[in-house]
Amino acid sequence: MTEGLNNPDIPIPDELAGSIAITTLDKIYNWGRRSSIWPMMFGLACCAIEMIATAASRYDLSRFGMEVMRPSPRQADLMIVSGTVTKKMIPVIVRLYNQMPEPKYVLAMGACASGGGPFKEGYNVVAGVDKFIPVDVYTPGCPPTPQALLHGLITLQKKIDKQSILKVNWYRKEAIPAIPIPILGPDLIDPRDYEKIRNLPPVQEESTAEA
Amino acid sequence: MYGIGILKGLGVTLKHFVETYVDDFRWLGKRYYNEEAYAVRQGPKATGIFTVQYPEEKLIIPENFRYLPFILYEEKDDGSIEDRCTSCGICPKICPPQCIWIVRSNDPETGRPIPAPTEFFIDIDICMSCGLCAEYCPFDAIKMDHVFEIASYERMEHHILNKEQLSKPVSYYSSIQPKNFRREEEARVAKEAAKAAKKKEREAKKAAS
Repeated sequence: MTEGLNNPDIPIPDELAGSIAITTLDKIYNWGRRSSIWPMMFGLACCAIEMIATAASRYDLSRFGMEVMRPSPRQADLMIVSGTVTKKMIPVIVRLYNQMPEPKYVLAMGACASGGGPFKEGYNVVAGVDKFIPVDVYTPGCPPTPQALLHGLITLQKKIDKQSILKVNWYRKEAIPAIPIPILGPDLIDPRDYEKIRNLPPVQEESTAEA
Repeated sequence: MYGIGILKGLGVTLKHFVETYVDDFRWLGKRYYNEEAYAVRQGPKATGIFTVQYPEEKLIIPENFRYLPFILYEEKDDGSIEDRCTSCGICPKICPPQCIWIVRSNDPETGRPIPAPTEFFIDIDICMSCGLCAEYCPFDAIKMDHVFEIASYERMEHHILNKEQLSKPVSYYSSIQPKNFRREEEARVAKEAAKAAKKKEREAKKAAS
């Protein structure tokens, strides 16, 4: 048993080889984090209904320590992007992601959040949230059933288990720069131009009859 | 008097709480991870907590449950494999979000198209699980799968499935959807019998004239 503890999968200096302190700390640290992933409480589309069903008593997210849905990004660890992300919504989502404290994770739930889904070429939909924020786990499905979402969350827990305090980037000296917030760009359709378009002077008919 | 409703509501919760422990005694600690107990817990006579202990227990999936499409191949008696798909291109045309991509190729000798897809891609992050491809396929070559445990860390590597990842034997299809498989086989046999009878009739007519 000590064999596994003494040989962690992380680089340790030679003089510290065989020390069990860092592995144990990692295990406790990861166990604590993976058992209390608090998702942010927001839903974007139909996938949110499945997310709500996952949190309800039949599938019971609290078995994984994830029942505490936090309405504030400051208290959340996990952002479940549950559903279609429109171009108007993506600046808000990126801002919320920047407001979350580290360690933070993103789970793209369903086809729309992962790759755009049926709206991949839509005029108003972002084709995959991973073009704007780093996504940790992709859960395919339209929508993913509660069990599929649970599988995605277990996959995330496995990812957390593999992380090490030495390697993670949120204990560095320098601050992690915020992700640039996308700006809702100018669209082809501008409602402010409606008045101008409607009140155009009538087209002057060319006086061909006289000639 | 105020507050009766709240007490009633809390009473329901308390009832479930107590019943869970009563159930624990009834099953002598075998309430979870036990198929028999699971059937009772998911049935109409369930008492106490009815949570599905997901990674250990899974919900019984109905036959027509659809998640993502897969393509079928026949296993011949001599061990060779034949795709049911003829790369006719109906599924990519009918697919509402356009997530199917088929690559066709021609026989280098004769120049005629090969009736099997060279490549077959499905982007499962586009697929909306509508099942239209399975419905419209004239060769019963594409069907909806029951596998849902496919979450991964990389989209481009794992979520654009190629032909190898999509292909599954017909025996797998008959195991996940036995009723549908039987119905389709019966229809196929009946169709072939009708075809043969028609041919016979025509030949008989020819011989008579």
